[in-house]
Amino acid sequence: MNRKRLSIPLLAALTAAAAAPQGGPFYNVDKEIRVEATVREIVLEPRYKGTAPFLVLRVEESGSARAFDVEIAPSWFFGQDVHGGEKVKIVGSLAEKPGATPIIIARELQLRGQTYQLRDKHGFPSWQGGPQHKRGARRFGRP
Amino acid sequence: MITKSMRHVFPLLLLTAFPAWGETISLSFNQHATKNVFQTSDAVADQISVFSLAFDKDLSAFSLLGRAEYSAFNQTSGMSFFAAAAGVDYLVPASRKSAFYFAAGGTGEIYRQTYEAFNSLGANLIGAFKAYLAPSSILKLQWQGQYAAYKDDLFDFLSQTLSLSVDKYFPSRTTLKADAGWGYKYFLHPFLPEPAEPAAVTALMSGGNSGGAGTGGRGMGSGGSGGGGGYQYQGGHGFIPRYSSEGGGAGIGHVSTSLLAAQGIGDSVGLSVSGLRQWIVSGESPFMSIEEFYYVQNPTSDSFSWEGTQLNGRITLELPWDLSVKSGYTYSDKSYPGVESMSSEGVPLGVTRNDRQNLIEVRLQKDFRRLAVFLAYSYVDNISTDPLFVWRSPFLMAGIEWRLPTAGKGGVS
Repeated sequence: MNRKRLSIPLLAALTAAAAAPQGGPFYNVDKEIRVEATVREIVLEPRYKGTAPFLVLRVEESGSARAFDVEIAPSWFFGQDVHGGEKVKIVGSLAEKPGATPIIIARELQLRGQTYQLRDKHGFPSWQGGPQHKRGARRFGRP
Repeated sequence: MITKSMRHVFPLLLLTAFPAWGETISLSFNQHATKNVFQTSDAVADQISVFSLAFDKDLSAFSLLGRAEYSAFNQTSGMSFFAAAAGVDYLVPASRKSAFYFAAGGTGEIYRQTYEAFNSLGANLIGAFKAYLAPSSILKLQWQGQYAAYKDDLFDFLSQTLSLSVDKYFPSRTTLKADAGWGYKYFLHPFLPEPAEPAAVTALMSGGNSGGAGTGGRGMGSGGSGGGGGYQYQGGHGFIPRYSSEGGGAGIGHVSTSLLAAQGIGDSVGLSVSGLRQWIVSGESPFMSIEEFYYVQNPTSDSFSWEGTQLNGRITLELPWDLSVKSGYTYSDKSYPGVESMSSEGVPLGVTRNDRQNLIEVRLQKDFRRLAVFLAYSYVDNISTDPLFVWRSPFLMAGIEWRLPTAGKGGVS
């Protein structure tokens, strides 16, 4: 019985560890925007401690020519081939810092007619698998 | 007392710890139905239910993955099998526009009694490099090595492939891609020792697979082959090995080149056409003939075994309500050096096996937030110099995939 009581905090600790933030900006659903843009550059950049480098798209908004850096996902560099010049539609959370290019943490990306759900509507990441993007494409070299 | 209480707590602990460990877990169920499971002229209808569980976990630049799958055959239940895979991969940025990728994994397949000769353990290694030559042009180089050991060790092999591709995207929304590849597969010990009685060899080489102590001759794979014994192959699995007093291995190598052109139209239509040409440049299949087996190594599904041409056209439609339709047509003309065409009685016809195949595919998918359902239909018309492989059949598949919300919100959200 005592052992069971001791296990409860352990379970709680495990659950808490799974949900604990690791630093960096959070997805703010109140700052969600929708942008149609053209990809100008594709780079691989370290973004958050404890994660692989992110695929980041430097894009230019259609019409306004406003520039954004769009954070996609760590696994996308090998999983998808995004090209400069391609048109994209992005839904994501806007994070702005004075003097810096505004960042969009992408939740949904439409590319070549296909829509990729990178996060759910609350901002939880879903790039590692699921119906929209099979992570297996990155692994074991499948095209 | 402690044991008794832990009996209740431990499953709860596992349930709680598993999501903490695996960031993404997906469950899927696919149901297949076909009128020709063996893909031969001796059509056998079957329905196959496939259950799978997969997980994924990122640990900085490393990722772990695992997958377990069970395929249950309704009519030919002896072919049902369990497969599992586990691996780790590692991404190493080389610059802001290029990166290396390495992966290592292990696989295993366990069949029920009918096909237990194909039980296997394997290992994969991958090294890849990707670089943006320009924002609109990508270079990829990839090497892959594979090893598999079967219960019936005649199939044991080592293989490696190397591929290089370059693509270019144009403002007209056209993408052109060129690919060159090389591959080599080495069967470690595919030959049976010479039998003591030469007459027995002659009988086997001239069509002995249709009689003797075998289990059914050509046609549906059935019966056991056991490991290592020469005469046990008389008809077992419709497999005809070669004999060699020297033993040793045998390799088969190829080079290939392919071109792809893709065009986007509007926001919701994608078109692509591609062509692939492959040449065998060294060796040939060490096996004289092997019939088709669902999910089991055989010439038709082995990319190392053929030379010829493959042409493909594909259309993708993105429809409202997260519906998508993908449809394609593939024509292939493949020859299998070393594999002889046989008559219906199993007598060699003196002609290398050549297949020409027309394949039509349609897939309809509906995506929900954590769920995807799909319905797929394909139809194959296969013409071959070997009468056993003259067949046509529809295939129907429906599936559902459910992704569990286990990921912590983490710093990247």
